Amino acid sequence: MDTPLSSLFGRAIAKAHPLYASMELTYACNLACRFCYNPVQRKNQPRTTPPPKPARQPLAFGEITSVLDQLREMGVLYLTLTGGEPLLHPRFWDIAGEAKARSFALRIFTNGAGLRETDVDRLAELAPYCLEMSLHGATAATAEALTQVKGSFDRQVRALGWMRDRGLRVYLKVVVTRLVEDELEAIRAIGDRFDFPVYFDPILTPSDDGQAYPLALRASDEAIRRLYDASGLNIGNSPFEREPGQYNCSVGTGTLHVTPHGDVQPCVQWKQAIGNVRERSIRSMWEESALLQEVRAISRKVPGVIAATVKEHAYCFSCPGLSRLRTGDPLRPDEQVLRLARIRHEVAEDESHSPKTSK
Amino acid sequence: MTQWKGYGRNPDVSWRTIEGQAVLVFNREGEIQVLNEVGTYVWEHIGEAPEVMARDIALEYDISEKEALKDVMSFLDGLKGSGAILLEDE
Repeated sequence: MDTPLSSLFGRAIAKAHPLYASMELTYACNLACRFCYNPVQRKNQPRTTPPPKPARQPLAFGEITSVLDQLREMGVLYLTLTGGEPLLHPRFWDIAGEAKARSFALRIFTNGAGLRETDVDRLAELAPYCLEMSLHGATAATAEALTQVKGSFDRQVRALGWMRDRGLRVYLKVVVTRLVEDELEAIRAIGDRFDFPVYFDPILTPSDDGQAYPLALRASDEAIRRLYDASGLNIGNSPFEREPGQYNCSVGTGTLHVTPHGDVQPCVQWKQAIGNVRERSIRSMWEESALLQEVRAISRKVPGVIAATVKEHAYCFSCPGLSRLRTGDPLRPDEQVLRLARIRHEVAEDESHSPKTSK
Repeated sequence: MTQWKGYGRNPDVSWRTIEGQAVLVFNREGEIQVLNEVGTYVWEHIGEAPEVMARDIALEYDISEKEALKDVMSFLDGLKGSGAILLEDE
């Protein structure tokens, strides 16, 4: 449903007003999730080539505050601090404080496994808009088979309790892999216990450098079906409403992404830099980048291409960044997206013919 | 009656002006408020004397200063009530 806010944001994004930005503060992480797209410092990943080495030094604190100044001046409202584990950045609290002082609505992605109670106190004092935390199982055995760090599950659950006690707004996220697919209901129950909503994402992404190993963990059709089925997790299965020529998403029009080394990307999933903050202003990239113009044009084409080429197009949301990484063509939907559309369509068809819902 | 001196925006309320309208994000409450054009003008001038804001609004919208001041004071009271602005001693 269109609200005054969504309508306002829609108008802004149509005029390429960047409302959302994300900053990866560091690639360092205290977990080693097997499906993680971050190719740096991973272990036990079945890679076919070594992880790439960054060509630049990480941004210094003064460079990060300059980025914050630029994003504020450009009108960015929502800023996501992510990683790696962003709290591992040696100056995380200074950066978060500087961002808050510039009146960004902060979203902080943390795995929670390294948090001490005093850290949660500081987070409560900071008052971000929300925290987003991934949970990879309802049991330590499952979660730690994915995170590859013993004890991480219990530490995460302990942190959830501290967050709840301090009234922090937390969204739990679950990457639906085959390892966790039998525990989805139990994870939702954990969310219910702490009164935090749980979001399930069945799409796995290849590593940032295009390696496909995370996809080997994809969930079964049955598990994905259970996500959308009314008798299962019932996470919502409404068809997409869109017109050819509309932007597919806010890539390049409402959002941008900054890597730890200062590369600016159209979004976290579109892995091409439109420039580096050490070389030019973000505004000049935003307004003048030929690549960004191309990305915007592609984003407008995606809905039409899906409508013309995907049988279950009403249930198909294609991420052009993911498509580009997977197929080399941002307009060609990735096979995961097609599989998801097929299953969602089947669920919708089955439910429309079921005795409960037929009219 | 509130004395509008030494008041300011609540730092826990994030905001930007988007397409000419201030969008306020109440981080602790998780709520969002979109202000109209006049409200946005007041919000952008928070900290100034209401009389100064009223004078500018009266000029811009062709209403009396008295009427504008009444509206500004009422709007500021609303912002105070929602926690969007704080008085110095709060």
